[in-house]
Amino acid sequence: MITIKIAFIAGIALAPLGAQELKLPASLDRLAAKASEVVDVTLDANLLQLASKFLSDKDADDAKVKKVIAGLKGIYVRSFEFEKAGEYQDSDVEPVRAQLRSPAWSRIVGVRSQKSGDNAEVYVKTENGKIGGLAIVSTEPKELTIVSIEGSIDPDQLSELGGHFGIPKIEPDSQHKNDKNSKSGKDE
Amino acid sequence: MEDFEQHLKNALGRKEQPAWFEAKVLAAATPPQSRPQPYWRWAAALAAMILIGTGVLVQEERQERAAGEAAKARLQLALKITVTELSKIQKTVRTSTEEE
Amino acid sequence: MTFAEVLRANQSMVFSLAYHFLRDPAAAEEVAQDVFMQLYRKMDDLDGAKHVTFWLRKVTSHRCIDYVRKRGSQATISLADVAEPSIPEQHGDPLLNRRLRQLIATLPEKPRMVMVLRYQEDLTPDEISEVLEMPVGTVKSHLQRSLEMLREKIDRSMGDIR
Repeated sequence: MITIKIAFIAGIALAPLGAQELKLPASLDRLAAKASEVVDVTLDANLLQLASKFLSDKDADDAKVKKVIAGLKGIYVRSFEFEKAGEYQDSDVEPVRAQLRSPAWSRIVGVRSQKSGDNAEVYVKTENGKIGGLAIVSTEPKELTIVSIEGSIDPDQLSELGGHFGIPKIEPDSQHKNDKNSKSGKDE
Repeated sequence: MEDFEQHLKNALGRKEQPAWFEAKVLAAATPPQSRPQPYWRWAAALAAMILIGTGVLVQEERQERAAGEAAKARLQLALKITVTELSKIQKTVRTSTEEE
Repeated sequence: MTFAEVLRANQSMVFSLAYHFLRDPAAAEEVAQDVFMQLYRKMDDLDGAKHVTFWLRKVTSHRCIDYVRKRGSQATISLADVAEPSIPEQHGDPLLNRRLRQLIATLPEKPRMVMVLRYQEDLTPDEISEVLEMPVGTVKSHLQRSLEMLREKIDRSMGDIR
């Protein structure tokens, strides 16, 4: 079973050196006119530094976030929700995917559901043998989300944010296996 | 009120009307009247300009705090979306692997 | 109170009711303006601030429901509204708030208005019953079913909500 964490490590091994920033195309902004809800977050290095100033080391949640962003150069999120399916096309997302097909990026996870039409991909880019960026492209019939994180990111620290700020917990595989085993034990 | 209902209250908090709404409704409802401006209005405007000019109304520190808190809120939102998406993907990967 | 005073005191409530129900700022503005124009013509018949507020809630609610029935529930968002950068929520979790508003918008008209009156205006079921001219039992039933549906869908899409 491939977990996100193992996939990250594999991504580091496979991806060649060389960095290429992911550019979110202006064409995505046109989707805003059709969307019922838009989340548009752009945090460059300066804004990340400013935000970090207001994260308290004494607050446990703030301290976790501070650790996550310590090595980051930017976080960019574009998320669109639509009233009905078919409001955006693959061609709207293609400029992003085209960049992610470049040698600097490796696709580490790709999941597709024929039933629901959901599709999600996770990419990493490496710099000097370390993760230098993360990209998520998630497409659903009525929702499109693109996340681009530039800089050094630790997947363990990301998953530690789960259970705080209303973020769902990313259940580690060992916990999931234990739950499954104990459940099947009860059924017998 | 239980937590979920508090979340609903937060989600349905009052949304402010556009800045021009009041003037637009008043213009539609009442005929325009022209009145000469009393002298004291000019005096008040002059006093305000002097206050601004002498730096009494400077709010740099407050603005920086507001900008910092806004950046922090945007950061939390971005991380929340990121972890939520990764969590969804992880669940899908697990489900499809268990089905095999 | 003068019309201008009444407008200033209540415009946020009226606009917000329409906005959360219609999820379309342009439509909300149109409905809100119509309501205040009607109020302007009826001011002399209304007695006191409480009566005015009740009247505004009632007329706004009915106007919104009529608006949707005449024009369908298709929300059109004006570019001016969407082009603004997303502003951090004043209270609570922005992602959860967004999801809740989206789910509430999928409710049929009457339960949707019941939910908005309950959670935006903090009205009791008896007060909602008077505003919407609906039996109290029906109001409570709408509240209960809507809450159940919302809880179930939120739990499924977002996991455990703290």
